[in-house]
Amino acid sequence: MNISKELVAASATPIILAILQAADSYGYAIIQKVREVSDDRLTWTDGMLYPVLHRLEEGGLVCSRWETAETGRRRKYYRLTEAGRAELGRLREQWLVVHNALERLAGPTGGGEDHV
Amino acid sequence: MFELESQVRKWRGHLRSTGSLGEEELEELESHLRDSVDDLVSRGVTAEEAFLVSVRRMGDTGALSDEFAKVSTESLWRQLLVPAADEPSRRRQRMEVTLVIGLAVLAGLLGKVPALFGWPLGEGSTLVYAKNASLFALPSVAVYLLWKRSLSLRFVLTAAGVFVGAALLVNLYPSYAPHDTAVLMAVHLPIALVLFCGVLYGGPGWKRAGTRLDFVRFAGEVFIYSVLIGLGGGVLVGVSMVTFQFIEVDISTFMFNWVVVCGACALLVVASYLVERKKGRIEAIAPVLARIFTPLFLMVFLSLLVTILSTGRVPSEDRELLLWFDLLLALVLSLTLYTMSARDAEQPRDLWDVMALALVVVALVVDGIALSAIVSRLAEYGTTPNRLAVLGENVLLLVNLLLVAVAYARFIAGRLRYQAIVEVQMRYLPVYVAWAGIIVVLFPPLFGFR
Repeated sequence: MNISKELVAASATPIILAILQAADSYGYAIIQKVREVSDDRLTWTDGMLYPVLHRLEEGGLVCSRWETAETGRRRKYYRLTEAGRAELGRLREQWLVVHNALERLAGPTGGGEDHV
Repeated sequence: MFELESQVRKWRGHLRSTGSLGEEELEELESHLRDSVDDLVSRGVTAEEAFLVSVRRMGDTGALSDEFAKVSTESLWRQLLVPAADEPSRRRQRMEVTLVIGLAVLAGLLGKVPALFGWPLGEGSTLVYAKNASLFALPSVAVYLLWKRSLSLRFVLTAAGVFVGAALLVNLYPSYAPHDTAVLMAVHLPIALVLFCGVLYGGPGWKRAGTRLDFVRFAGEVFIYSVLIGLGGGVLVGVSMVTFQFIEVDISTFMFNWVVVCGACALLVVASYLVERKKGRIEAIAPVLARIFTPLFLMVFLSLLVTILSTGRVPSEDRELLLWFDLLLALVLSLTLYTMSARDAEQPRDLWDVMALALVVVALVVDGIALSAIVSRLAEYGTTPNRLAVLGENVLLLVNLLLVAVAYARFIAGRLRYQAIVEVQMRYLPVYVAWAGIIVVLFPPLFGFR
């Protein structure tokens, strides 16, 4: 199943914020996590993650710091800020509204029941 | 044999050349790429395949840099001055800003030294200022580079020796009317000293062709920055003088004696700092200019050549002719240099290389015609310092362009790597220092300080 570009782009922010809510992380690990939780069906162009991360940082939703791994490789870790946490809550609500609307209209039961 | 390190470096260089990524972003992306390669290798893929897969996953560099540019265009200038991430480099950056401000003030004050000795800027003192101009502006640049590169005592002492020596020479040599050798000094001392700064720019590796080319790039950017800042300074002076006129206060004397003199002297060190700081952040502009003007100048030279051949008009024996052709050749040389500075040495030959060769060859032919037209007459005129200096430069430039033309031709014929052209050109640079040095040091005594 190929997910459309627009949908991938729109879902990137809430997904990144959600991953960072669980724990601080760096770019490569975030990509791996996305692959893992979506069973490889949600794939991003690796590089494109970074402009998104930097935009989130500019907006104050995440903050970053450099850390050196035991291997000596330097990695930039991102952490969710309070503003980011609030934004994640808002985004999640929005996605649920869309999700619920779609389920009611075209879900397996074909409308009627509420799937919250 | 696949070499991961050099491939990663090349990839990073390619990303850097798009101009919209800072060093920190590049490091982040490189770290990602390496994680990805390691991961794939640990799953049994060869390093080469892992690298290719990782690069492909990373995405198209053009699209990537566009995305980054969207995030960072607004903050481009802020990035130039923004403190670095960790504490030691932040401290060093603060120190750098303080040092540059200090050096700018120092350069400005040096510009006031002649006034201290009773030579305010004016009619009678033009020559004093002209001869010393490079000694006001360049020591600060030298100190900045010494600090920036953390150079050893040997470099510090050499630099001190060169500048003190030059200052003594320029000001202790007498000068009698018509001051020909003094004017020659004023023109050639900056050439020698700027190229000497190339040694400080390169540090211990200054002999390498790549380092020298970096310096050429740096010098071009500093020049362009200086012109831009100078234009801004001109607006500042003009606006403030007119504004003060409205309240009937004349500040022109103060403006010229302090703001213009000090500002002009401080310009270079500030521009050097900005160019050093920005590095890859904004695409260099000098190579872009070279690209635009190479074909245009080629057309000018071609039409000049066609006109000479069809009308039979040869440049006549004008006194300024040789000087003019020196400037033309120098222009062609700098177009060649800056085309070179932006070119990836590994890239195969293309139309631009043919055009660069054509420009050099046509310039050589035109100069050859001009030289042959007047060289016979030179003997009649007798040797004056000006004529000798100008003729010497013409010969040096001619030999330089000949060497470059031969190297280019062999490269286009596929018998030479591009890097070899760069090396030919870079090895030739010290010749100009030597000639400028001869003119500054030996010409005055040779021609009786006239």
